[in-house]
Amino acid sequence: MTMSVQRTSSDDEVKGVEAIFLARHRDELRRRGLSRAALNIVGVMLFLTVWEMLPRLGLVGNIILFPPPSIVIQTMWPMTLSGEVPYNIAISLVRAGSGYVLASVLAITIGVLTARNRTIRDLLEPLLHGFRSIPAIAVVPISVLWFGIGEETKILLVTLGAFFPIWINTFIGVRDVHPIYLRSAACLGASRRQTLFLVILPAAIPLIIAGMRQGVAVSLIVLVAAELAGARAGVAYMMSLGHQLFRTDIMFGGLVILAVLGFTADRLFVGLCRRLFPWYRPAA
Amino acid sequence: MSLVSVQNVSHLYVGTDYAVTWALRAVDLELSKGTLTCIVGPSGCGKTTLLQLIAGFVEPTFGEVRLNSEPIRGPGPDRSVVFQEYALFAWMTARQNVEFGLRAAGMPKAERHKRSNELLAIMKLEAAADKYPHELSGGMRQRVAVARGLAIRPAVLLMDEPFAAVDAITRMTLQGELLRLWRELGLSILFITHNVDEAVYLSNQVVVMSAHPGTVKEIVSIDFPHPRDRGSAIFAKWYARISSSMDESERAAQELGAA
Repeated sequence: MTMSVQRTSSDDEVKGVEAIFLARHRDELRRRGLSRAALNIVGVMLFLTVWEMLPRLGLVGNIILFPPPSIVIQTMWPMTLSGEVPYNIAISLVRAGSGYVLASVLAITIGVLTARNRTIRDLLEPLLHGFRSIPAIAVVPISVLWFGIGEETKILLVTLGAFFPIWINTFIGVRDVHPIYLRSAACLGASRRQTLFLVILPAAIPLIIAGMRQGVAVSLIVLVAAELAGARAGVAYMMSLGHQLFRTDIMFGGLVILAVLGFTADRLFVGLCRRLFPWYRPAA
Repeated sequence: MSLVSVQNVSHLYVGTDYAVTWALRAVDLELSKGTLTCIVGPSGCGKTTLLQLIAGFVEPTFGEVRLNSEPIRGPGPDRSVVFQEYALFAWMTARQNVEFGLRAAGMPKAERHKRSNELLAIMKLEAAADKYPHELSGGMRQRVAVARGLAIRPAVLLMDEPFAAVDAITRMTLQGELLRLWRELGLSILFITHNVDEAVYLSNQVVVMSAHPGTVKEIVSIDFPHPRDRGSAIFAKWYARISSSMDESERAAQELGAA
């Protein structure tokens, strides 16, 4: 059947052409999806191959200082089966997750307040911008001195780190909501509360999301710094143990775990945004 | 008794260099129930400011604006506004946009749905009900905006150059639909445009404004029955009448600018 219709085509012919067009479109989408997945896998395999070759051929370092993936897997697999790796991952995830959630709640609340209330903004903005310039990592030593190496310290450090990117983005997003949205809501009779939840927050979502994504990355950085400063479990703790035992394979295993955690968190985040905000399409 | 009454209203702006601009000076205007009034005038004549004063987005520097004899104290659902563009909530579907004002008023979901179904049907938007604004054409977006404005049954519908952003063909269709709604639902409409053809085609009453300072130059009643034939001699006569009035105000503004 040819892909064209004439003015004289019957309804059935038109329907037929539509069906073919749609089937081709679906095939094309499927082909694109498969080719993307295949290329993603090829990229990772290429990377692993190069990593395997470099130390084995003696091009970069040697197998002891720079363990290839095969050795890392040989080490990590039994540790995974014994539950050691999952335990450390779980501990780290709870720390990063609690700190991150706390940071999001605080940062979005304070972001809205500083953007919509002039008194609060004038009162807090210089302080927040000042504190924002201090890298959270710089606070790790003093907080260990003050609060010890307990869980609360680590969670609060993550909160501190993730707070600022989320706050600044929420602040800008809420402050710069297009006035025409606010006027539309006002002339349709929305109350202040309704305007906040139905208009201001959704309008600011793209920026809030950008801040929250940055927050995920910062959470991991601060988590690692906090665990390295003193911990009894966790992914970075496992790595520092590897360091003390001169087990580079464990150290590399930790790096791989951190990469996978960060990547998964980001993908989950993007997937969740697609689901929750179908009207908003993040570029990646 | 008039529906909207603008009494001796002046509105001033202060620029960055502390220069004072009279957006409006001593403006009087009465809108009665059931009329379709168009405001035409050159840019800078304060027509949008006038609409914003009636909407309650800004307060007049001097004078008073009243709705049903009550002074206007801010925006409210008795005066909904249809904006030129970007006013649909991007995060809501067409239906959710139409239901926004009803939701704000606390109307139960079932009733809300019934009302939005009616409006979507009137505006021929049934197929677009669950689409987001970015999936709709310009003309459809503006239909949704009109439906949203009408859903709350306002006393007056304020339209700020609503059809300026759509193409000429769609614009004519929308104008026809607006007239149909106005007649069928007995609406009171204030419509801002810079297009003389649009003003003559739509309105009972044309308010011609002039700029620097923004003032009402004259108010012309057009008693020529709808539907109006754009090709008729009487249409041409009214077109010429409004057009020359606008030219005069434009020329006056230019002379003032040159002086």
